[in-house]
Amino acid sequence: MDKLFPTQEIGSLAKPAWRVKAYRGEPLSEKEIAEAVKWGRRLGIENIEELVKILTKRERTAEEKKMLLRWSARYAIRFFEAAGLDIVFDGEQWRSEMYEHVIRNVDGFKFLGYVKSFDYRYFNKAACVSKPKYIKPFYVEEFIFTKENTKRIVKVPFTGPYTLVDWTFNEYYEKKAGSQIRDFKQRKTSARREFLFDLIKEVVRPEIGKLIEAGAKWIQIDEPAATTSPSAEEMQLFVEAFNETVKGFNCTFSLHNCYSNYEVLAKYASQLQNCSQLALEFANRDNRQTGLADEARTGYKELKFFEDHGFRGNYGLGVIDVHTDFIEPPELVRDRILHAIKVIGDPSRIYVSTDCGLRTRTWEVSFAKLKNMVLGAELARKALDKNR
Amino acid sequence: MIGCYVTGILPRPKELIETTRAYERKKAGEKLLEKALREATAKVIKAQVSAGLSYVMDGMLKWQDLLRPFNENLEGLKVGSLARWFDNNTFYRKPVVLEAIRRTKNIATEITYTELLPKNIPWKAVLPAPYTFAKLSENKFYKSEGELMFAYAEILREEIESLAEKGFKYIQLSDPALVWNPFKKPISKDMFAYIQGALKTALKGVKARTCLQTFFGDFSQILPEALEFPVNDLGIDLYETSLEKLKGYDFDKGVALGIVDARSSLVEDESELVHVTREIIEAIFPSKISDVFICPNCDLEFLPWERAEEKLRVISSVAKRLEKEWSIYG
Repeated sequence: MDKLFPTQEIGSLAKPAWRVKAYRGEPLSEKEIAEAVKWGRRLGIENIEELVKILTKRERTAEEKKMLLRWSARYAIRFFEAAGLDIVFDGEQWRSEMYEHVIRNVDGFKFLGYVKSFDYRYFNKAACVSKPKYIKPFYVEEFIFTKENTKRIVKVPFTGPYTLVDWTFNEYYEKKAGSQIRDFKQRKTSARREFLFDLIKEVVRPEIGKLIEAGAKWIQIDEPAATTSPSAEEMQLFVEAFNETVKGFNCTFSLHNCYSNYEVLAKYASQLQNCSQLALEFANRDNRQTGLADEARTGYKELKFFEDHGFRGNYGLGVIDVHTDFIEPPELVRDRILHAIKVIGDPSRIYVSTDCGLRTRTWEVSFAKLKNMVLGAELARKALDKNR
Repeated sequence: MIGCYVTGILPRPKELIETTRAYERKKAGEKLLEKALREATAKVIKAQVSAGLSYVMDGMLKWQDLLRPFNENLEGLKVGSLARWFDNNTFYRKPVVLEAIRRTKNIATEITYTELLPKNIPWKAVLPAPYTFAKLSENKFYKSEGELMFAYAEILREEIESLAEKGFKYIQLSDPALVWNPFKKPISKDMFAYIQGALKTALKGVKARTCLQTFFGDFSQILPEALEFPVNDLGIDLYETSLEKLKGYDFDKGVALGIVDARSSLVEDESELVHVTREIIEAIFPSKISDVFICPNCDLEFLPWERAEEKLRVISSVAKRLEKEWSIYG
């Protein structure tokens, strides 16, 4: 990009109540419908009355439900545009959730039920029960809709294969390896590897191919599980999986990883091939006062690890904490960017970003955060100009 | 003797999950939650009894993580932020040590539904081992990890005493941190001495059978030192341990063999498990066989309850088949 500090969100945006309830077939309150109208007007969405017509219905047809996905995607795209982002998507409005959306659209998996994540939080975990098989595109339609509805750069978030494998029970391959390998540990390791590379070959690469055919220019591989097992063997496997995923495609790829072990990831980041950008979270660990000194910007100390280990790609620099309602002032965003320049030298390697997807924040909070992120990037550009 | 038991937190059955989720969304109150917890506890106890386990636990369904009851109830600690539970997609809250840790009340006996445990089968309890407690805490008070470990070991002894008084016959100390070693850093001689000392402190005069249960890592890396630990049994995760290396040592203690994989939903083949276990027993007890417990490799909480229940039946069945073999040939 010509412009310094292009701005981007990571992927998800909260689904509005009207989208969730209406899609589930539940009746909406007047307040919820008014919310849709309010945001529609604010974002300059046309023909809101057509949406309202669907929302006020008692029952909705399958076609109307599909329309709802389009409506909420249209809202989310306009939301990001209105906040001033340079790189946009549809806030993942078409997806139930990053894991389930993919698993439910691929053959070979069975959901077994909820398992504990922490406290009273759980996640629905699937098992791989036969060789994964690609049956239909799961991101393409959403991408095409987004592309047709914006003139900005489109980045497609894509749940990475390493994470899909890490979050899934591996029955099929463990059973298969059972007859060949006696040592349980070796058996599991070998089964994991086979599952991962089959998934890449059978599902992930075909989908990437289809996205590129449909015109995708930039795909962001989301791998929150990347450093779950920080051993050298597992990290090598992760690197190998990423490289195999993107190999030979004519497209820009980037990696998003969050709430992870960056000391470990940094050691391997330079081995990621064709990875134009690492989108990382820092803001949630940082102080809230302005300033460029290391003491002020404690949340960004891990950036140096990536530099020290020779990563030379771009950074999606997380300057917005997605887990608090605190609205980062533009000056704080500016200082986080300027501090990062001090660490990495070249300002053109910085893309200004949220820590992660904003799906846990309200639209009101998300909008205020993004607007300030954009303003902060502008302040950083000005500060840089002044010093030249 | 070949027995069997579970080794930690059991999965919450579906009904309890639903109630806890409703509780989170403020759609269910304390009373309903407590009722659901009791019912689910009764259910998981019943499953252990009908599977024929040698010791029975209450299932620890109330425990948010292994450290939480201590984290919340010891003085001097604060419940910290979420951190990853070893290499799992599961998280615990870090205990933050702000001042000298003190025990002012019974913790484990209070959180356990002892009144629901059967009268005719001995009871088992699980507590965090000193090393794991110290490793997973954020220490802002003690001069060293070792010092924290000893302070906790003193508390642990009182906890174990109160459990034994209440009628618990088997105390397991869970020590995943001792073997989870992704960067392959060897444990120093000094640290082994510390661990040995802390265990001695924690288990001094204890009138229950004791086990140091390791999981998520290769047990063979703490051999032969672990053979000196002052416990009756040593727990081994066979899905993380090199079986060949393990077979190279002679044991003079009991072992708890984690032969079903609590981190995999695939239900194991019993005949294969019998075969593998037999080989291990023959290798590590070349002359005299000590007691063996057949168990899951770690807490079964990683599975949906139905799958865990199936695995309970597997451990029991494998234990019975082996017991039968040994009573014939042994």
